[in-house]
Amino acid sequence: MRYLLRRLGHALLLLAGVSVLTFLFTALAPGTYFDEMRMNPQIAPETIAALRAQYGLDKPLPLRYASWLSSLVHGEMGFSFAYNSPVAPLLLVRAGNTLLLTITSTLLAWAIALPLGTWSAERMGRLPDRLLSWGTAMLLVIPDLALALGLLVLAVRSGWFPTGGMASVGFETLSPFNKLRDVALHMILPVTALVLSTLPLLFRHVRAAIADILDAPFLLAALGHGIPKRTLLYRYALPAAANPLISLFGFSIGMLLSGSLLIEVVMSWPGLGPLLLEAILARDLYVVIGGILFSTFFLVGGNLFADLLLYWADPRIRTESNAQ
Amino acid sequence: MKKPTANFKPCWIFSTLLLSAFTFIGRRAIASPPEKTTEKEELLVLPGEVGQRGERLVVSLRGEPKTLNPLISVDTPSREVIGTMQADLVHINRATQLTEPALAKSWKISPDGLRYTLVLRRGLKFSDGYPMDADDVLFTFRLYLDEKVHAPQRDLLIFDGKPISLQKVDSHTIVFQLPKPYGVMERMFDGWAILPRHLLEKPYEEGKIAQVGALTTPPNHWAGLGPFRLKEYVAGQRLVLERNPYYWKTDAKGNRLPYLDELVFLFVPSADAQVLRFQSGETGVISRLGAENFSVLSRDQKDYAMVDAGPGLEYNFLFFNLNDLGEKAPPEMIQKQKWFRDLKFRQAVSSAVDREAIVRLVYQGRGAALWGLVTPGNRRWADEKLPHSPRSLEKARELLKEAGFSWGVPGNGDSWLQDSDGKPVEFSIIAQSSSSERSKMAALIQDDLKQLGMRVQVVPLESRSLLDRVTQTKQYDACVLGAASYDADPNSDINVWLSSGGLHLWNPSQARPATPWEAEIDRLINEQMYASTFEQRKKLYDRAQEVLAENQPMIFLVSPNILAGAKNTIGNFHPAVLEPYVFWNVEQLYLKNGTENATR
Repeated sequence: MRYLLRRLGHALLLLAGVSVLTFLFTALAPGTYFDEMRMNPQIAPETIAALRAQYGLDKPLPLRYASWLSSLVHGEMGFSFAYNSPVAPLLLVRAGNTLLLTITSTLLAWAIALPLGTWSAERMGRLPDRLLSWGTAMLLVIPDLALALGLLVLAVRSGWFPTGGMASVGFETLSPFNKLRDVALHMILPVTALVLSTLPLLFRHVRAAIADILDAPFLLAALGHGIPKRTLLYRYALPAAANPLISLFGFSIGMLLSGSLLIEVVMSWPGLGPLLLEAILARDLYVVIGGILFSTFFLVGGNLFADLLLYWADPRIRTESNAQ
Repeated sequence: MKKPTANFKPCWIFSTLLLSAFTFIGRRAIASPPEKTTEKEELLVLPGEVGQRGERLVVSLRGEPKTLNPLISVDTPSREVIGTMQADLVHINRATQLTEPALAKSWKISPDGLRYTLVLRRGLKFSDGYPMDADDVLFTFRLYLDEKVHAPQRDLLIFDGKPISLQKVDSHTIVFQLPKPYGVMERMFDGWAILPRHLLEKPYEEGKIAQVGALTTPPNHWAGLGPFRLKEYVAGQRLVLERNPYYWKTDAKGNRLPYLDELVFLFVPSADAQVLRFQSGETGVISRLGAENFSVLSRDQKDYAMVDAGPGLEYNFLFFNLNDLGEKAPPEMIQKQKWFRDLKFRQAVSSAVDREAIVRLVYQGRGAALWGLVTPGNRRWADEKLPHSPRSLEKARELLKEAGFSWGVPGNGDSWLQDSDGKPVEFSIIAQSSSSERSKMAALIQDDLKQLGMRVQVVPLESRSLLDRVTQTKQYDACVLGAASYDADPNSDINVWLSSGGLHLWNPSQARPATPWEAEIDRLINEQMYASTFEQRKKLYDRAQEVLAENQPMIFLVSPNILAGAKNTIGNFHPAVLEPYVFWNVEQLYLKNGTENATR
């Protein structure tokens, strides 16, 4: 319990620190949302000054931070200049779409990486293992952007998949089953791109973790006792190798909101990616801060979750922290 | 294998849950129009090809619109969408570039040019069926003029500090009283969307006018006088508009417009993705295309045709920092400004720049070389007498020699240009990194000037940082930038011309003109603004263009062509060089034969 509280405290401190830093950095970036209006010959400088004042951009930084904090407490997370509305609802709708994409692809990537890594570790140094290592190394060096564009070209040439978006036009007229099918069809390409980009890393970690443990004396002893190799692998080797993988899983959770931004922009998935990109370019300050805070929240939460899992899974950590 | 499979299933169930939570936000309109009067409608009959009713057109927008409220919109996607949902009193026909009757069927100007009397069409209705009359017009302009509303266009209704005023004569006649005669007032009526008083009066009195017209507004809480009305908005994905059954235009055969049943805007965040969507047939129209994507699409035109509408109103230019930087300026900057202020130096740079190469290499030939602010696309106002001096390095060298520059020969054999104090001529050009075109232009200029012995660095800057330097901190040597007039009329660029203007970029917002030629331009522009006939105005404006070209504070480079494309099944597709390039006649667009749906 004390362990949990301490961890929670750390996490909150971290979030507060990140919020101060992002506030500072976004404020330091040259230009503001209203600068683009200066290039519009229709808009008078006085109007721009009045708008800046209306949104409190002329106030000193600590004051702006304080008013942002109070709007955070009210669940608004500040005000978007571009959309003329509170930030939280803008982010929430799109975060939902992002999570749909990333949760699916993360689970899929793990579902492939675990058995594949174990299988490959078991055959360490033999041909299938070498081929897999080569293959994943290849995937690792291909930039996400190239991967996504390649898949899109495939979609256009073949006509099998939609070339982006989350739903077809006329979506609202479809039956519930067809709606599901439609979204699933639209998800195939971005999910494939995401799985292909995360799989190599996961696969290599799983393989290394299992390979490490396979040489351990207790496994050799178990093998000597005639326990079947399959049982050995999944019942004894995998749990023993779990620690680094649990940390990695926490990291996967942390990447849920930020890992797919690029793919979303390329594939025009209506998630946080396009919104944040536009907000950053337009200096829509509070949307940017809100987005960063959202993904930090996931990162911190993911790590916290991983720590708790470790605490539960590994008696060594339990005794260590109780001893302190 | 057990564990992973077990993971896999809940993931799908979870996805399903998320799906139902996040995708069903559509709402249906339940507008119930008050059927009280059956006044005879005075409809506007449009000439041109007669089309067919029905179908849905799908198009992509680069960004998501931010609002449907014309009072606060500034970004391009919002304005593009609003343009299809709203209407103005007098409209500028984007094809002829002339004014024509819209909500006002006629207008009279008093002999002193101060009173404009507009007569509204009878029987006009908003898209929710509510009748529209003079009170809506008065209310609308009260909002635009209210300082607390912060309408970005407000400034256009103020003349020498005094606002225009409106009087209602009867339910269909309104008088606009100007503080000062103004030559082009009828053009000024374009773009002021007439708003529904019955929907906006309450929020306005409560001071919440900026919050209305959010995209999440239920369709029955929003109305306009344009050809389409709101049907559904899905955040991050699409905006669906439906036909406004009360629209006030018909075709030559008397069929009520618009032809299309639905207009769907998909939000596609990158230009390349827009091209892919168009290529795969998911969208029916593509516009605001770059030259590279245009030529890619032009390669296999089977189901669609690409249209090059010729040069638009965008002008790209190079300018030097001519601001008065005062005492604090660093000595190198003072030295540099000595060159920049020298007319012969600027003329030499202009003479050395290869504009044709820019057209060829940056725009693949789809653009026009430019020697003045008014582009060839602006047929009525461009000054044809403006000299188009071809590129000449000899002339440039001569000008530099006359100005006291010379070529020193350092050890390596290259000869670099130096000024009369022996300082090497070295400066940087900032350009927007987000615009690959302008970055390329800057690089080509760097090359051109190298041949004169100038050492030029190109510094790509993110757009906001660049504007910050040019308009606020004034920390730059030279800059490549572009601007686009929003109307063909000279007054749309008034802030560039006048020395007091904020877009007089080389030295903005001057208290009084810094040079005699800037004073001359100020005089010419102010005179043309209040001159009454086109011929007088044209003469004055031509002269202003000539003075600008003689003094080269902006070295004009190129005006890109307006490029668009549409499926062969789309009728009445005639892109114009004025915004909105392809949707200016959206009420007349139709799908031929009704065989092909824009959806797959």
